[in-house]
Amino acid sequence: MLKATLRSFLAHKGRLLLSALAVVLSVAFVAGSLIFSDTVTRTFDRLFASTSADVTVEPKQDLKSSVPTGATETVPAALAGQVAKVAGVASTHADVSVENIVVVDSRNKSVGPTTGAPTIATDWYLTDRSPVKLTSGHAPQGASEALLDADTADNKHVKIGDTLTVQAQPGSFKVQIVGIATFTTTNPGAALVFLDPATAKDQLLGAPDRATSISVDAAKGVDDAVLKQRVTAAIDSAGTYDIKTADEQAKSAAADLGGFLDVIKYVMLGFAGIAVLVGVFLIVNTFSMLIAQRTRELGLLRALGADRKQVRRSVLTEALLLGLVGSTLGLAAGIGLAAGLIKLMTAFGMNLKTTEMVVGWPTPVAAYVVGVGVTFVAAYLPARRAATVSPMAALADAEVAGVGRPLKVRAVVGSIVGAIGVAALAGCAAATSTASSSSLLGLGIVLTLIATVIAGPLLVRPMIRVLGGAFPALFGSVGRMSQRNALRNPRRTGATAAALMVGLALVGGMSVASASMSKSFDQQIDKTLGADFVIQNGNFLPFSKEVTDHVRATQGVGLVVRARFAPLAVRLPDGRRVETTAAGYDTPLDDVAHIKYAQGSTSSALAAGHLAMDVDFAKKHGVRIGSVLPVEFPGGRTTRLTVGALSDQGASGGFGTQGGLFFGIATVEKYVPTGQDSSLYVNAASGTGADQLRTALETTLKPYPQVQVRDQADYKKLVHDQIAVLLYLVYALLGLAIVIAVLGVVNTLALSVVERTREIGLLRAIGLGRRQLRRMIRLESVVIAVFGAVLGLGLGLVWGVCAQQVLALQGMTALAIPWTTIVAVVIGSAVVGIVAALLPALRASRMNVLAAIAHE
Amino acid sequence: MSTSTAEHSPGRAAADRIAARARQLTKAYGSGETAVLALDSVDVDIARGRFTAVMGPSGSGKSTLMHCLAGLDTVSAGQVWLGDTEITGLKDRELTRLRRDRIGFMFQSFNLIPTLNAAENITLPMDIAGQKPDQKWLDQVIDTLGLRDRLKHRPSQLSGGQQQRVACARALASRPELIFADEPTGNLDSRAGLEVLGFLRNAVDDLGQTVVMVTHDPGAAAHSDLVIFLGDGRIVDEMERPTAEGVLERMKRFDLTRSAFDGAAENTSDVTLDKD
Repeated sequence: MLKATLRSFLAHKGRLLLSALAVVLSVAFVAGSLIFSDTVTRTFDRLFASTSADVTVEPKQDLKSSVPTGATETVPAALAGQVAKVAGVASTHADVSVENIVVVDSRNKSVGPTTGAPTIATDWYLTDRSPVKLTSGHAPQGASEALLDADTADNKHVKIGDTLTVQAQPGSFKVQIVGIATFTTTNPGAALVFLDPATAKDQLLGAPDRATSISVDAAKGVDDAVLKQRVTAAIDSAGTYDIKTADEQAKSAAADLGGFLDVIKYVMLGFAGIAVLVGVFLIVNTFSMLIAQRTRELGLLRALGADRKQVRRSVLTEALLLGLVGSTLGLAAGIGLAAGLIKLMTAFGMNLKTTEMVVGWPTPVAAYVVGVGVTFVAAYLPARRAATVSPMAALADAEVAGVGRPLKVRAVVGSIVGAIGVAALAGCAAATSTASSSSLLGLGIVLTLIATVIAGPLLVRPMIRVLGGAFPALFGSVGRMSQRNALRNPRRTGATAAALMVGLALVGGMSVASASMSKSFDQQIDKTLGADFVIQNGNFLPFSKEVTDHVRATQGVGLVVRARFAPLAVRLPDGRRVETTAAGYDTPLDDVAHIKYAQGSTSSALAAGHLAMDVDFAKKHGVRIGSVLPVEFPGGRTTRLTVGALSDQGASGGFGTQGGLFFGIATVEKYVPTGQDSSLYVNAASGTGADQLRTALETTLKPYPQVQVRDQADYKKLVHDQIAVLLYLVYALLGLAIVIAVLGVVNTLALSVVERTREIGLLRAIGLGRRQLRRMIRLESVVIAVFGAVLGLGLGLVWGVCAQQVLALQGMTALAIPWTTIVAVVIGSAVVGIVAALLPALRASRMNVLAAIAHE
Repeated sequence: MSTSTAEHSPGRAAADRIAARARQLTKAYGSGETAVLALDSVDVDIARGRFTAVMGPSGSGKSTLMHCLAGLDTVSAGQVWLGDTEITGLKDRELTRLRRDRIGFMFQSFNLIPTLNAAENITLPMDIAGQKPDQKWLDQVIDTLGLRDRLKHRPSQLSGGQQQRVACARALASRPELIFADEPTGNLDSRAGLEVLGFLRNAVDDLGQTVVMVTHDPGAAAHSDLVIFLGDGRIVDEMERPTAEGVLERMKRFDLTRSAFDGAAENTSDVTLDKD
């Protein structure tokens, strides 16, 4: 029996090829993402482990802002001296390292990374832990000398002797590059500027007696943990600082980076998931078709005495072989994929080395579990069907298995699952809390997807009658035959289209959701933004005070309202302590923004010692006008603020903040003293035109390439672009889903062509031309693809509308349906159909007429 | 042996009375020493307006002869004409068009496209060509074959005999110059078979069509005007106004010669495309 199985596997290897490809793709993405993240994690673990001081003293980071504030927390530099006296300390150093800077060259171009990685200015203090070494020039001395890292110098064409401007929080200053420092370890992608230690304190922190951390070297034989305890006992009885051993420091640094790496990992796993999901359809379909074709052969095996179990096992063994081969190739492809990603990271400035690639044992295990598991599960149903082939099938001119079986079970199960799914979706649209509605949405999406897959074959007849309805009129008998061929085996057509459906449903849903988000933001901007211009950093990072000063001094500027952010924790009357981020504004806020209040006004909200919050949030936590709330700010600063106004914006502020808290900018300046402005709302002085002001502002801001002047339209575009990034990811997923779905369509058509060999021979004999034959197959492919697209987009639209209902609870009240995208996708799916039909059609048209007629 | 074929050929009618013609038609399978001749320099004329049967034992080359005359198969040597058109050397596209417009086909089985109903199957060659069928002629064919109330049926809803009648109607529908029928009764019971043969006879007698039928059934051959006997790739005999007994007698003589030349004959039968 095993011999027969092996023979059969080898005999059908051509037909299994496409299924194997689907397995390879999914395994490759799983393996690739694991290898990549393992490699990156190990590289950075090593980097942080080798660069962390034995013990580090840092300011406490209890309140982390979800919106950058531009503030740098510091410790007294004198701590270094105190710690040096602790027993077991070999040496200490007061470090300065800030990220809230921008460095521009003489042509006002930023030399920072364009990838979102930070520009870091730090003091030049070489130890054996330093990640860099001086490779040319000399160490910086005095206030006007600096070093630059070699990668940045290369990328931005900065040479020794060039002058750069460093825009730091206390103010801008010019430095001359006197040397180049080269990374001896992995460069994580940041741009590094090194200054003389005294200069660093003065210019970067604006305080010669402060430091951002104290690094402590242990004397020989002193354990890090022991030293940490001693240092804590000596300087930090009050718990003001964060004191970490090298291990702890490396871990927390890795955790900071981990968020970014997790995103990559999840994206990759998303691809793997899509590949697996679509691949399953392909494999199920392939095995169903192979078994249908082999009905007589299986009947013969049964007639010769093989029992059902043996037949089933034989099919499953074939699946197992397919899974093994696919997984092995997929693992290899995954290594390639990881290597490609590592190369890509290098292009983004993160110098990983492919030679240090890590393939941990879980990677091959996961690869084989996914590959073999998926194939096995997908082949299980077809295998069971194979086992039910009766021995009589060997004798009879058997009807192809599976065609005639009634679809009743599918109808029943499909409608039950579908009904529950629709109910869940209706529930999510009606629900009032975000948490319950998003879980209902998830449930509804999964169930309606399953229901559509199950009931797909039932929809084939009515839908293809309509979609291909014009074919006979347009393409005559060729069109008629192609339409009817698509209707011939609804199960097969349904399963083939389902593969395409899954991807397109996802796209449909996401594009409705994102179009709705864009429209909602537009409405929000229209409703609230009253300023002529908004001046902001492209990625919402705060900017130096000089920018504000220059803008204020610009000719034609009438009014400037600053916005700053402050992380805080507020204790509410119901006992809850909520950590969030609040905004601070200048008093004439009403001139640049339209804020609706349930109670109070802008002046009562921004008054000294007062704050405002969202009315719904306030109600939920028992806050009323006049409530006095204890508020904690970073660095242990605390105060009590009185609720002066309740806003009714209908939406929370977004950006992960909650409560919609805001107050006068003076409060931020007082409690986050090193903060920077995040946005400036600018109105023109009377008599100054908008264009005139814009030109003036742009001229003023030339030395600050990081900030841009935006009017309402620009601002909307910025928001759209940010949403578009999300869409690009979805389109990439769609691309993969389509590739696999195309494989599925190719597979189905190729096997159908083989099945219909005699029919094709007959058609050719009675005069069907090769071109007409190709057209017939192409049209069948197109109608299947469009069927899948219509089904998927229909489902996606429903999902998108429901998702919008969920988002509406967060303020995304507008619904937009991107019809152009949808029409484009339908047209695209027809093209996909044509592409998928290329090879099968060619193959059919090359068939020898006589051999085809004689085909058994 | 091959020299005598010209005299045996039924080419006595005038040139315009010839529907199809082959000269020195040779078809070899394989090459070099292993080459096997399915047709060996065959000369044949198919008379217009007559019912010609091609007979011969398995492997005699009768199906190959039909395939070559119908433009389904390429020839190794020699020439074939359909009417005045030489079809040897035509390109695939021209051959396809020729089959579509000028030849009708009936095969032993799998004659109809399962997704099309009877009416659609009948007009398929004309639909493919984008031509309107001659409705009067079509009605006449449909009525002659008694298919009026079966037109909306799919092939799976028709009996074997009905299916062959639909195939016959399709072959007649475009009023082709020549109808080739390859074992049209092979899969039918005797009653249905007789019916189909009757229709082919009618097509010649009443509708003026030309039919060439390949068969190994002497009873079927007896419906024709002329039987051509093939043996080992050559025309070995012919019989005008045949009877079933006469054909059977002639066929028996093949069995005798065959046993005499056992080895050689068997070689041939192994490789020809004959399916019986």
